[in-house]
Formats: sequence, structure tokens, C-alpha cells
Amino acid sequence: MKSALLTLTLLFTLGFASAQEDATSVIDRIIDNMRGESQIATLEMTVIRPDDEDTYTMRIYSEGEEKGLTRVIAPPRDAGQAFLNDGDNVFIYNPRLKRVLRLPPSGQSDSFLGSDISYDDLAGDDLRDNFEASILEESEESITLELIPNPDAPTPYGKVHLTAEKPSYAPTTIIYFDQRDTAVKENILSEYAEVEGRYIPQRFEVKDLLEEGNMTVVEWQDADFGVEIPEACFSQNALEREGVCE
Amino acid sequence: MTTSISKLAWRNLWRHKRRTQLLLAVVAYATIAIIFFWAYYDGFVGVLLGGQARYLAAPVMVQTEAYYTDPDPENALMSLDIEGELASFEGVRGVAPRLEFQALMRSPYRTLGSQVRGVDPALEPQVSNIPGDIGEGRFIENTGEIVLGIDLAEELDVRVGERLALDVQSLGGSQGAGLQLVGIIDSNILPVDEGTALVHIDEARVLTGVDTATGLALDIRQGDEKRVAENLNAASLLPGGIVAYPITELLGSLMSGIEQKRGSMIPIVLMIALFAAVTVMSTVIVSVIERTREFGVVASLGLNQGQIARMVTLEAIYTTFIGFAIGAVAGFALTALMTATNLMGPFINSFYGRYLSGMAISDQFVFATSITYLLWAAVTIVIAAVLAIVVPGRRVRNLNPAEAMRAN
Repeated sequence: MKSALLTLTLLFTLGFASAQEDATSVIDRIIDNMRGESQIATLEMTVIRPDDEDTYTMRIYSEGEEKGLTRVIAPPRDAGQAFLNDGDNVFIYNPRLKRVLRLPPSGQSDSFLGSDISYDDLAGDDLRDNFEASILEESEESITLELIPNPDAPTPYGKVHLTAEKPSYAPTTIIYFDQRDTAVKENILSEYAEVEGRYIPQRFEVKDLLEEGNMTVVEWQDADFGVEIPEACFSQNALEREGVCE
Repeated sequence: MTTSISKLAWRNLWRHKRRTQLLLAVVAYATIAIIFFWAYYDGFVGVLLGGQARYLAAPVMVQTEAYYTDPDPENALMSLDIEGELASFEGVRGVAPRLEFQALMRSPYRTLGSQVRGVDPALEPQVSNIPGDIGEGRFIENTGEIVLGIDLAEELDVRVGERLALDVQSLGGSQGAGLQLVGIIDSNILPVDEGTALVHIDEARVLTGVDTATGLALDIRQGDEKRVAENLNAASLLPGGIVAYPITELLGSLMSGIEQKRGSMIPIVLMIALFAAVTVMSTVIVSVIERTREFGVVASLGLNQGQIARMVTLEAIYTTFIGFAIGAVAGFALTALMTATNLMGPFINSFYGRYLSGMAISDQFVFATSITYLLWAAVTIVIAAVLAIVVPGRRVRNLNPAEAMRAN
């Protein structure tokens, strides 16, 4: 009897450890899919509200998770604005003011060009390091992870549900829940392009689930991956001067 | 003879009871008004200073001159070695370190920038009333915890037990933390409830990269702040570049405005005293006119005009003095009663709390007490005496006894 109990406990522990390991490796594969490559791309961002719709065209240059420069090309009223991510710092250039400003923490709460995406979202909320992952659902076509934040994780969310397709592990949906079990934000990633074994989303929707009809859609118009981008592109000078990154 | 005139003047007060009672009422009322006025004004200043000292700032803050000019954590104190010596300095009842910084607070629904204060939960209650104003939950005890003002918590829509994300630009770059909301402050003071966010000072040190504190808050008895700060700055206790700032200096231009305002109140008080004295004088004049025949009889019995004038003046002085004594007792009793029942507190808090945004106006109003208020009220006696000598006294001195006896 005792040995049977011991065997059951061992099997359960191993099984549990195995599931934990799977969830961790799955999240690694999903995150690695989304990031890493350098890229130069043209994006179209549409901010949708119940009674209005605005579209922006932007040129982005990014390298890994830490560095990125975004320049607004259209519409004319916003053209010339540029944003630089340098680690956790965000810098803004406004052509009317002809000045580069570092966004203080209070400013990083502001939404990016009035969209449902904040400057903070551009810097990234690290799902890998701040959350404990477990498998919620799994089928042959997809896998859904439930991510619970660590007690001291710098995130206000109660949990995150991350769904990815199989076998590519390209993420398709990320749903953010508050601490009262209500879904507050949904990110939908689609139209994947395969680049050297990675699956990069070409369409990104952000839905504000608390405000009906509020949504932001970002679509890649063209993109080059794995390109070499001059280091000077990720400097405050590059914000003011076009052409540094090409 | 002087004694006889004094006795005559005293007896005359009670022979003309109604007139005496009227005069007593006027002087007592003026005395009560003057005492109440200064007690209220100084009490209001006390509420302002006390609120600022015990809710928003501190009675005395020891900080670098650089921080006073530019309140950035990079201008923090270099070390806290002076804490022990400060605690044993004359007039200092307690010392609490504070580390203040700007942060971004994020809930799932909103993101707000705010000033956050890192405190030592064991020491902070000595220098602040905030720990005693927890309306829900408890005060912070450990790292990983935060308390917010009730209005701030409502704006972020975060409840006790839930987590908040804090993002800070530190000396070493960006830092973030997830903190559990353990308590909500409900002080009924607008700037406190809207703007207070407190974390453990050790948490603040990790977030900002500052090992020490942006200031040391000193617990000083109200009224002694300026004196103790001056003594501290004069003693060779504080290292170079570090200054003790009393609350009066921390308030800056507001304090000088309050002091100027007090000076401009003096003519108002003098007007009240003058009004009362003129009323006394008027009543005495009427009394003299009505008693002309009586004065004629008294003159025929041997008193000269000067003595009669002195008697009339003494009547005015006695009346004013008794009225002053009654008014003094009643005035201080009234202010003590108003303090005990706190009748003014909610009104002051409600009216001025919205009007003077940024000031901590408590809903507890304490009327001030000072012997100088009696001196201001005593001005009434002096003016009344002078006027009684000048006007009705002169009429009496010019009295013709024979004509006076024939008067109606």
C-alpha cells in the first residue's frame, strides 16, 4: 500500500513537473516567434471609435526587444513626429516644436497617437519573466496558456490568456483580465509571414473590451526582416533627421 | 474725598440698573467679538499650518538646499548619520525619514502619474496624522504594499487586496514593481485623499536607486517649529548644504500672505473697540443729560464740577471694566465650547477645503487661546475712558448748579 502511494505521488509530481516544463517551453517558443529579428517596415494604423476613424502611416526600424524608431509619414498634420524606444526610455520628437523630449513615467501612460496602444505597450510587458504559465487548453490546432503574474510583477492585470496556433506557436490572441476576472483588453494577431522559421504577425488588433467600439488595427504594408540597421538610427539625432536609418 | 467719589460712582451704577445693564451688554459683546475674532483667525491659521505640517509636509523638514530648490531624488541626503543627534535635539520629539519620487501608477483601467512617498511605517505616525486616517484596510507594514488616498484609489478603480503596477525612472534607469493595495486613506481632506500614495521606504529605495532619503521629517510641537529650526541651523549639527526648514518656510509665499493678512485685520478690531467705546460714551452723554438736575442737587450739597465729572468718568470706567470681565469669561468660554463641540470644523473643511485647493484643511477646528486677545479687548476700556473724559465729562465740568437744579 505504502509503495503504491509513493509511486502515485512520484508519477503525479513528475507529471506536474512535465506540464510546468511544457508551459514554460511553450511560452518561450511563442515569445521568440514574436521578437528578435531586426526589421524595417511600413505600417498602417487605424484608430477606430464608434463615431470616428483615423488612419496613420508609419515607418518603423526595430532591432530586438530593446530598440525601435517609429516615424509618422501620413497624414500631413502628424507627419514628421517620431518616437524612439531605447530600453525602457521613450523619446518623442515633435516637428512643430523642433524638440526631442523624454517621456516621463507619467507621460508613458498616454496612448500612442490616440490609439488603444500606450507608449508603455511599445516598450513591452514581459510575459516571460513576470508571469507563471500553465496550460489551460490544448488541441491539435492550438494551445492556450494561462499566465498568472508573480506577486511583485509590475503589472496590474490579474491574468493573461495567450493562445497560439500549432505547430508554428504563432500567437493569435492575448486577452488581459483585471483582478476581478473581467477581460479588459484583447490583442488579436493574424496574417503571419514566415521568415526563416519564425512567424511574424502582419496584422495586430487591440480591442478595448471596456469601451464598446474602441479598437486599433495595425497592418504591415511591407517589411524587410533580418536587415542591418545603422546604430545611429537608434539615437535622438535620428528623431530629428530623416534618412539616418536608411 | 476720592474714596467717597469712587463709592458714589459705584452706587450710581446700581441706582440706574437698566442703563448699566445696557452698557455692560455693549462692552461684553464687543469683548466677546474681539476675543472670538482673534481666536478664530489664529485658529484658522493653526488649522492651515497644522494641516500642512501633519498631512502634506512636516513640522520641520531636514533636507539638502538642492532638494529644496529642485525636489528630485538625485538631490537626496548623502547619509542619515545625523538621525540620532536630531532625535535628541531640544524640541525634537521624533525623526522619520522620507523618500519622495514621481511614479506612474497603473491599474487595468487607468494610468496616472503621481507623487509617491516612501516612509518608515514604525516612525511615520510620529510626524504625520495620515496613518491614523486609514478608512479601510491597514497602514503599510512591509515592502510590496501601498496605501492610497480614497479619491486616488477610486480614480484608478483599485480595491484593497488588489495589485497596482508602479513604474519609476530611477537613477539607474526604469524600475517597476507590483504592489498590493493594503489600505485606503479617508481623511476628508481633499489634497490628501486625492494625492496620497505611500510605500515602504525600502521599496522606495529599490525603485529610485537612492539609499538614503530625500528628507528627515521632525516631530515638533505646533508653534515651536520656527524656533527649533533656527536653533538646529545655528548649531553645528547639520553638515554643509543641509538645512532645517520649518513649516512656515515650507509654505513659502502663503505664510507671508497670512502674516500680512493678520496685520490688515488690526483696523477691523480697532473699529469694533471704537464702536463699543462710542456706544458707551453715547449712553453716558444721554445719562448726563437726563441726570442734569441730579448733578445740580449734588453740586449744591458740596461736590464741585470737577468731582462730578470724575464721578461720571468713573461710572463709565467701572461699567466698561465689568463688561470687559464678563465678556472675557464669556468669550473664552464660547471659544472653548466651539472647540469642544467642533461646530465650525465641518463648515471650514467644506467651504475652504474646496476654495483653497492644495491646502490640507482638517475638519477639526480648534480656536486659539492667548492672553493678547484680552489686551486687544482692553483697548475698548481705554478708548471708552478717554471719550468719557473728553465729551460727557466736559459737559459736566461746564455745569451751572443753579441752572441744573431747574432743569427738567
